Amino acid sequence: MRISTIEQLDEQRRRFAALEQEIPWQVKVCSGSGCIAAGAAAVHDAFVKEMAAAGISASTSFEQCGGGTSLVAKTGCQGLCQAGPLVTVQPGGIVYTRVRTKDVPLIVTETLQKGVVLESLLYRNPNTGEPCRTREDIPFYVHQKFVALEGCGIVAADSLGHYLARGGFRALVHALAMDPIAIIDEVEKSGLRGKGGGGFPTGRKWRTCVNADGDERFIVCNGDEGDPGAFMDCALMEGDPFRIIEGMMIGGRAIGAKRGFIYVRHEYPRAVQRLQSAIDQCVDAGLLGTDILCSGFDFQLRIVRGGGAFVCGESSALMRSIEGFPGEPRSKYIRSTEKGLFNQPTVLNNVETFASIPAVIRDGAYAFASVGTGRSKGTKAFCLAGRVNHTGLVEVPMGMTLREVIFGIGGGVPNGRRFKAVQTGGPSGGCLGEAHLDLRVDFDELSAAGSMMGSGGMIVMDDYSCMVDVSRYFLKFLMGESCGKCVPCREGLFQLFEIVDGIARGNGTRKDLERIEKLGHAIALSSLCGLGKSGPNPVLSAIANFREEFEAHIVGRKCPAGVCRELTTFQIDPHRCTGCMKCRRVCPVNAISGEKKKPHHIDTALCTRCGACRLECDDEAIAVV
Amino acid sequence: MKITIDGKKVEAKRWDTVLTAARRAGIAIPSLCQLDSLENVGACRLCMVEVNHPHWRGAKLVTACEYPVESGLEVITTSEEVLRLRRANLDLLLARAPESRRLQQMSAEMGLEQSGYVRPDKGTACILCMLCTRVCEKLGCNAIAPAGRGLDKRIDTPFGGYPDTCIGCGACAAICPVDCIEMTDTAKTRTIWGRTFEFVKCAECGTPVITVEYRDYAIAHRSLPADYYNECSDCKRRKLAVKFAKVGG
Amino acid sequence: MGDGPRTLVIIPDKCVGCGTCKLACSMVKASGDAMRRTRIHIHNISRERYVQMTCLQCVDAACIKACDTGALMRNEATGAVELQENRCISCGLCEVACPFGHMHFNRATGKPEKCDLCSGDPACAKFCPHGALLYR
Ligand SMILES: Cc1cc2nc3c(=O)[nH]c(=O)nc-3n(C[C@H](O)[C@H](O)[C@H](O)COP(=O)(O)O)c2cc1C
Ligand code: SF4
Ligand code: FES
Repeated sequence: MRISTIEQLDEQRRRFAALEQEIPWQVKVCSGSGCIAAGAAAVHDAFVKEMAAAGISASTSFEQCGGGTSLVAKTGCQGLCQAGPLVTVQPGGIVYTRVRTKDVPLIVTETLQKGVVLESLLYRNPNTGEPCRTREDIPFYVHQKFVALEGCGIVAADSLGHYLARGGFRALVHALAMDPIAIIDEVEKSGLRGKGGGGFPTGRKWRTCVNADGDERFIVCNGDEGDPGAFMDCALMEGDPFRIIEGMMIGGRAIGAKRGFIYVRHEYPRAVQRLQSAIDQCVDAGLLGTDILCSGFDFQLRIVRGGGAFVCGESSALMRSIEGFPGEPRSKYIRSTEKGLFNQPTVLNNVETFASIPAVIRDGAYAFASVGTGRSKGTKAFCLAGRVNHTGLVEVPMGMTLREVIFGIGGGVPNGRRFKAVQTGGPSGGCLGEAHLDLRVDFDELSAAGSMMGSGGMIVMDDYSCMVDVSRYFLKFLMGESCGKCVPCREGLFQLFEIVDGIARGNGTRKDLERIEKLGHAIALSSLCGLGKSGPNPVLSAIANFREEFEAHIVGRKCPAGVCRELTTFQIDPHRCTGCMKCRRVCPVNAISGEKKKPHHIDTALCTRCGACRLECDDEAIAVV
Repeated sequence: MKITIDGKKVEAKRWDTVLTAARRAGIAIPSLCQLDSLENVGACRLCMVEVNHPHWRGAKLVTACEYPVESGLEVITTSEEVLRLRRANLDLLLARAPESRRLQQMSAEMGLEQSGYVRPDKGTACILCMLCTRVCEKLGCNAIAPAGRGLDKRIDTPFGGYPDTCIGCGACAAICPVDCIEMTDTAKTRTIWGRTFEFVKCAECGTPVITVEYRDYAIAHRSLPADYYNECSDCKRRKLAVKFAKVGG
Repeated sequence: MGDGPRTLVIIPDKCVGCGTCKLACSMVKASGDAMRRTRIHIHNISRERYVQMTCLQCVDAACIKACDTGALMRNEATGAVELQENRCISCGLCEVACPFGHMHFNRATGKPEKCDLCSGDPACAKFCPHGALLYR
């Protein structure tokens, strides 16, 4: 298909929209990372096989469907990773969870052939036990608001046709009819702020780039996503690649860039492959190249694979890396919007930021800005992880409280444990406690509380987490990821780690907290790049919000959460122990003795303080003393 | 253009950094990783200063060696905070290289007696100021480069192997502020980066002058006669003295 | 005298080898291993025959040509070739290149040491009791 004019684009859109209407069944198998890990690829293949066996004509390519042929599509992440592999069946929007290959024949014969919903595969509301048929019934989804993730998990990730059918490239057509400066005005009015961590106003960034002198301008998409456990950008690149392309094209048009780069994290081969396929389809259709849609707009896109380090996601390091040098940050006293990639004015935005652009242009700045708080507009995607009932990919309106995210969407803390802390902002974000639960998802509110929005990690911790240990973990990560260029980050994070490690091992002194704070502030103020500048955040916020816990380690030589091995002793409370033997079976060093139905006993000399017994015990009989 | 440094009006040139402008005005700012003839890296963070501008919303803490001047800039080089940050970074450096005379001297100047931190057991005394690699690059040899990251970062030959492009000039060892580059000279040879070089020996007395490779490099890259590199300083001086003596009668 | 910078004139005939110039130089320039690092040397050519040797501040100086970073520059006011420490990359080539052996590369500091005419007031000439060094 060749799309050279706006009329042709509309025609194709109508054609594909009609085609979608004709498709008898759309079986959408989630092919996000989580579901793939849980076996989604085999489930997808099983559908193809079983549908053929059942005589249902089906294709894996959207373009070849219609006229009685059903679709078995791979989509991006559908969100509820924890219950994967997920399969959504249209029409009806039935969401099946934990689908195994052995379930596929049943779905084909019962649902596709008889229209019967298989209750056993439905999601159950953990509070009421009620089965939920569609997204609209599942509490995890109902509180969310999808903007950037609008198409992720809905569209067939590999199909330009399906993207068009769903209204794709409408925003581009709008943008091409606009004056480039008007595009920037619109983005600025929308209040959109960068989703990659800093929250810099996107419109303002574009404007400084336009105003800078240069021979050429570049637009770069940051898909490095180095935060451990975060996969919003991965989901978007895999799940809705055309949307990112469209966002970048609009940006390119606005700033006058003819070339764009998408920098994709080394560990994301699938994202590279889906993006490349999307780019190829656009090039074939004439949506990338020269004189796009007869507008005189030329635009090319290239994928660059990441250097494989967390710090490569930092803007100046990323640009160095694209230029072919080792990815090391440099001082940004001259901004990259003025001298960036190859020393030319460059706009770098995050994947999610670009994915939000089509919505801004298509629906208008006011519609976009109608959601959110005073200075944080629109939505933000998070990866909800840790001790919550529903882990997965979520997108929430700005202004929602952390409580609503964790308890409303996330379904609260599992196993009846108590919420203790939430870490937002990735490895260099901050740890917030119960007192902060009513904070809103808002760039400035989170920063003011000593954490940050970051790129969207959200890790929930229960009372089995020790904040000293958590601080130590993040310091260790950052220390290992520091590029080593500047002294405060390389040497300072190491020394911070040493002090915190000392506290966790029971060698802390009363002066340590003050030393941590002093050194932490020096690192934050004198490091070269954002890694060092925000590196002390986790430990500083942990001390600010959980000071007693640090003091307990230092003064009392105890780890109240029972995590720091040197400071923990486990004991079985004989009044609570029912003698169920569970702990005894799980102990890897056989330190637990006791007869059935009689209180058990832990041999402290043998116990390695791994805590396995405590997680196993249903009666909370294992106490930390 | 005019800028203000510590309340003093100072004339600065267009491409100046705060550090060069300050130095020209006779205002000292400590620095370790900066040299006027090399590209700045901003590694040591000892040159931190505070900058502000009437048009800005507030002051910033920046490295003087990299921050470009602009008209009306106000620089403070000795605020409490600036001194505290410099001292904190020097403290970290001193923990890594307590034996360095250069660091000891700077510490004395900044009123730091000894490091408050443990000496890291990982890595050498190298403080990764990158002077050695930049000097090597400046000479056009590129025999050494940084490898690894974080605490594992170190300066090494490509893939830790034989340094093909090294000419044994010894500039890296000489410029190292913490003396952590091993270089062994004997009467005949110099060994550095795991490679051994023959010396050109003084045509008169036989003492080592420079490595053969360095002499060849100098002949190729400098516009001086090839026989300029064959004798040691003492012999050259003595020869001239003898000539002078004759002229003098 | 004309307008040009003055020069340090060495008159070996008058030198008696007393070493006062070396001492003066070491007081001004050297700190640690004093005498070795003076920028003026006395050569005893034969019995009773001494020649003082120091940088000639050559017009077409080899050291300047050997230096690739512009760290060696002539001070137009004094006529001395001076080292800009902040440009020097410690390559040591100036030492080897000087045809007269007047450049000393100090391995400990990583910088070359040379006579800079004490910024226009050479101590050696000032203290020479025999008029064997003149700055004029
Ligand atoms: C150490 C470090 C790592 C970063 N990693 C990422 C990343 O993985 N993805 C990202 O989009 N931004 C990352 N950033 C932020 C980028 O530097 C940059 O601010 C961002 O990509 C700009 O896009 P935005 O304005 O759309 O947020 C990182 C920053 C730092 C300091
Ligand atoms: S702050 Fe850390 S990561 Fe950033 S330049 Fe310095 S050492 Fe490298
Ligand atoms: S001199 Fe500026 S950072 Fe080292």
